[in-house]
Amino acid sequence: MEYTVGSIAPIFLAPVLAFVINAFLGRKLPRQGDWLATLSIFVSFVFSAKIFGDFIFGKFATDYFIHKTFTWFDLSYGANIWKVDMGIYIDNMAAIMLLMVSGVAFLIHLFSTWYMDHDEKHGRFFIFLPLFTSAMLGLVLSDNLFSLFIFWEIMGFCSYSLIGIYNKKEKAGDASLKAFMTTRVGDVFLLLGMVAIWMVIGSVSYVDIYAAIAEGKFAGQTVIGISLATFAGLCIFLGGMGKSAQFPLHVWLPDAMMGPTPGSALIHAATMVAAGVYLSLRMYPLMVLGDLTWFIAVIGAITAFMAATIALVQTDIKAVLAFSTISQLGYMMIGVGVGSYNAAFMHLITHAIFKACLFLSAGSVIHSIHEQEMPKMGGLRKYLPYTHFAMMCCTLAIAGIPFFSGFVSKDRILGDALYFGFMAGQSPLMAIVPILGFAGAGLTAFYMFRMMFLTFYGENRMNDHHHDDHGHGHGHDDHHGHEIHHEHLNARQNVPLLILSVFTLGFWFAGTLTGQSFGKVFGAKTEWFKILVEAPKVEKFIGHPREAFGSTDTKQAVALEHAHYHHQTGYAGPNPDEHKIHTAHTLGAILSIIIAFSGVFLAFLMYIKKSVKPLASTFSGYTETLKNKYYFDNLYVDLIIKKGLLGLNNFLSWFDMGVYDRFAVDGWATVNRWTFKAAKWFDNVIVDAIGVDGTGVAVNLFNLVLRIVQSGKIQFYFVMLIMVLASYIWTLNL
Amino acid sequence: MISLISYLIISLVLFIVGLVVMISRKNIVAILLGIELILNAAALNFVAYSRFVTNNLDGHIFSLFIIVVAAAEAAVGLAIVIRFFQIKETIHIDEATQLRN
Repeated sequence: MEYTVGSIAPIFLAPVLAFVINAFLGRKLPRQGDWLATLSIFVSFVFSAKIFGDFIFGKFATDYFIHKTFTWFDLSYGANIWKVDMGIYIDNMAAIMLLMVSGVAFLIHLFSTWYMDHDEKHGRFFIFLPLFTSAMLGLVLSDNLFSLFIFWEIMGFCSYSLIGIYNKKEKAGDASLKAFMTTRVGDVFLLLGMVAIWMVIGSVSYVDIYAAIAEGKFAGQTVIGISLATFAGLCIFLGGMGKSAQFPLHVWLPDAMMGPTPGSALIHAATMVAAGVYLSLRMYPLMVLGDLTWFIAVIGAITAFMAATIALVQTDIKAVLAFSTISQLGYMMIGVGVGSYNAAFMHLITHAIFKACLFLSAGSVIHSIHEQEMPKMGGLRKYLPYTHFAMMCCTLAIAGIPFFSGFVSKDRILGDALYFGFMAGQSPLMAIVPILGFAGAGLTAFYMFRMMFLTFYGENRMNDHHHDDHGHGHGHDDHHGHEIHHEHLNARQNVPLLILSVFTLGFWFAGTLTGQSFGKVFGAKTEWFKILVEAPKVEKFIGHPREAFGSTDTKQAVALEHAHYHHQTGYAGPNPDEHKIHTAHTLGAILSIIIAFSGVFLAFLMYIKKSVKPLASTFSGYTETLKNKYYFDNLYVDLIIKKGLLGLNNFLSWFDMGVYDRFAVDGWATVNRWTFKAAKWFDNVIVDAIGVDGTGVAVNLFNLVLRIVQSGKIQFYFVMLIMVLASYIWTLNL
Repeated sequence: MISLISYLIISLVLFIVGLVVMISRKNIVAILLGIELILNAAALNFVAYSRFVTNNLDGHIFSLFIIVVAAAEAAVGLAIVIRFFQIKETIHIDEATQLRN
C-alpha cells in the first residue's frame, strides 16, 4: 500500500479550506456556506475511511505506523541542534480516531444545517465548526507535541467562539471566557511539560520521546527535586485535565452548553474533550515511567463519581449531558490510569458516538419544543419517535446495559479498575478507584434514565406552570401552551441521530474485548480493539529512521496474523496474574450489570411508578450542595479569584501606581527636569553669556583701547610714530 | 674746520624744528613745511655721511632723490590742501575728519 502526503493531507486541509472560504465569502454563498463545511468534513471522512480500512482490516501489522516529517524551522548552530520538525504520525489508534472524529463531525455538521437554520448566527457557526474539526484532525495527525499544542490552542479558541456565539447574551460571554481561562490553566502546564521534555531530548516528537524512554534518557534527570519524567508527565497530564475537564478543572464544561447544542455535541464528543484523553494515551509510556498512573486513576475516579452525583439533580437536559460527559471522561482517565489502554481508547470512541448522538437528540428536543428544562417536558415519546429511539439507544449505551457499546468499554475499564484496586498489590487507598467507579456507574444509569423518563415518558407538562423557577433556559417562556408538531423523518434532523444510534450497538466494538467468556457474543474475530490498539512499545522506536514528508510509503502490507497477535498482545503484556485478571473481569462484569440495572430500576421506580420519593426530598441538604455543583464555581470565583487573585491584582496595581509610576516614571521625569535645567544653564551661561556675549564684550574692550589710538588726528599719529621710533632706538641701545 | 658733528647738529636742529612744526601747527601748509624741513634734515645727513664716512656719491644721489620726492610730495600735498580748502573752506587739520565713523 502506498501512502503519500497527498492521500493524508486532505483530511486536515479540506475543513481548513472550508473555514477560509466561509470566513471570507460565507455571507455571499447560498445558505451561508453550511453545505461547504459539511462537504469538506465529508471529504475528510472519505480519506479517513480509506486509511481506517487499510489499517484496520488487516493490511498492516499492529505496530505499523506512518511517520513522515519535514523540518519546520532550523536554528541549529555548530553542535547545538535546535530544530523543530513537523510531521504526520498515523498508527492504528490515530486511524480509528480519524474515522471517529471525521464521521461524528460530519453527522454533527449535517444536523447543524437543520438546527441552525434561520438562526442569526448561522454563518458564524459554520465558520468555526469546520475549523474546530480540522484542528482536532490535525491534532490526531500530529507527530509531535509542538504541533499538537498548536491545534490544541486552535480548539481552545474555537470552543471559546462556539460557546460564546450568542455574544449578546452575557452568560454566553462569561461561559466562553470561563472555558478559555480554565483550559488555559492546563495549557500552561502542558507547555511546561513540553519544555521539560525538550530539555532532555531536544525534541518533542512522539517517536523521539518513545525512543528516549526506551534508551533511558530520562533516568536520573530531575527538576526542582522530582524526577523529570514525573514532572513532565504530570504537567502534560494537567494539560489533559484542563482540556478533558478532569476534577479540579472541570468547571468550564457545564457552562459550555451556553453555545448551540450541535456545538456542544462537537465539544463534548468528537473533538475538544477527547483531545485530553488522546494526549494522555499518546504519552502513556511517559506516565508509566513517571509513576503517575495511580494519580491519573484517582483523578479519573473522583471526576467520574463527582460529576455523576452532580448530574443527579440537574434539571436542564443539556446540563445532565454535560455532567455525564465529565463523568465518562473520568472513566477514560481511570482506564488510562489502571492500564487498560485499549479499553480507555475504546471508551473514548464509544463515548464520542453515543454522546454526540445524545447531544444531537437533546438538540432535536430543544429545537422542537423550545424548552430545555426537563420538568417542563414529559411524554415527548409520542411526538418525537425517532429522537426518542436514538436517545434511548444512547442512554442504554451510556448506562452500561449489555449489548450496547458503553457496556463493552466501560465494563472493561471497571474490570481493570477492580483488579488495579484490590488485586494488583497497590496501596489499599487505591480501592477508591473501583469503588468510586462502580458507584458512578450506578449513578450514571440512574441519572440517564431519570433524564429519559422526565423527557419522553409520563404525561406532558409543557403547559404546567409549577416549575417556573428554572424556566430561563432558552428564553422561550412565552411559548407555553403551543402545540407540538409530530416529528416527521427529516434527513438532516433524524438521519444523523439514527446513524449514530446504530453505532451504539456493542457488536461493532465487542467480541471478547470485554474479557469475559460469556461476553464473546459475536465471535472472536471482532475483538479488533484489543488486537490493534496497544500501548506504544517504546523499544521499537529506537533508531527509527526519519522519512521525508513528500516520500511515498513503500512498506508492504503485512497481513495480520491473528493467532500470533493473540498471544503476543494480551492485556498488559505477558502477565502472570492472568487468572486474577480474568476473575476481576468476570466479577466486574457481573457487578456492573447488576449496578446498571439497579440504577435503571431505581429511576423507573422514582419517575415512572413514583413509588419512591425522588432524591431531592430525601436528602435536601445534600441536594443543595449538588445543585451548586459542590460549590466549585464559588470556590474559584469567591475564594481564589476574589480573595486571592484580586488581592494580588490590587497589590500589583499598588506596585504599579505607588512604586513604579511614582518612583520610576515620575523619577525619570525629575531626572529629565534636572537635566533640562543643567542644559538650560549651560546654554544660557556658558554658550550665550560667555561665548556669544563675551565676544561682543571683548570687541568692545578692544574698541575702547583702539578708539584712543585711532583718534583720526594726524598730528597725534605723528607723535605716536615718533614715540615708537624713539622706543625702537631706546630698545636697540639698551 | 667744519666737522661731521656740525652737520649732524644742523641736521638734528632741522629735524627737530620740522618735527615740532609738524606736530604743533594746525595749519596744513605749515605741516607740509615741517615735513620739508625733516626731509631736508635727512638729505643733509646723507650728504654729510657721504662726505665724511663713505667718500662716494651714494649720499648725493639719495639727496637728489629726496629732493625729487619732496617736490612731488609737496605738489601732491598742496593739491590735496587746495582741494580740502575748496570743500571745507579751511585748512585747519582738525577739520579733516571725514574718515571718522
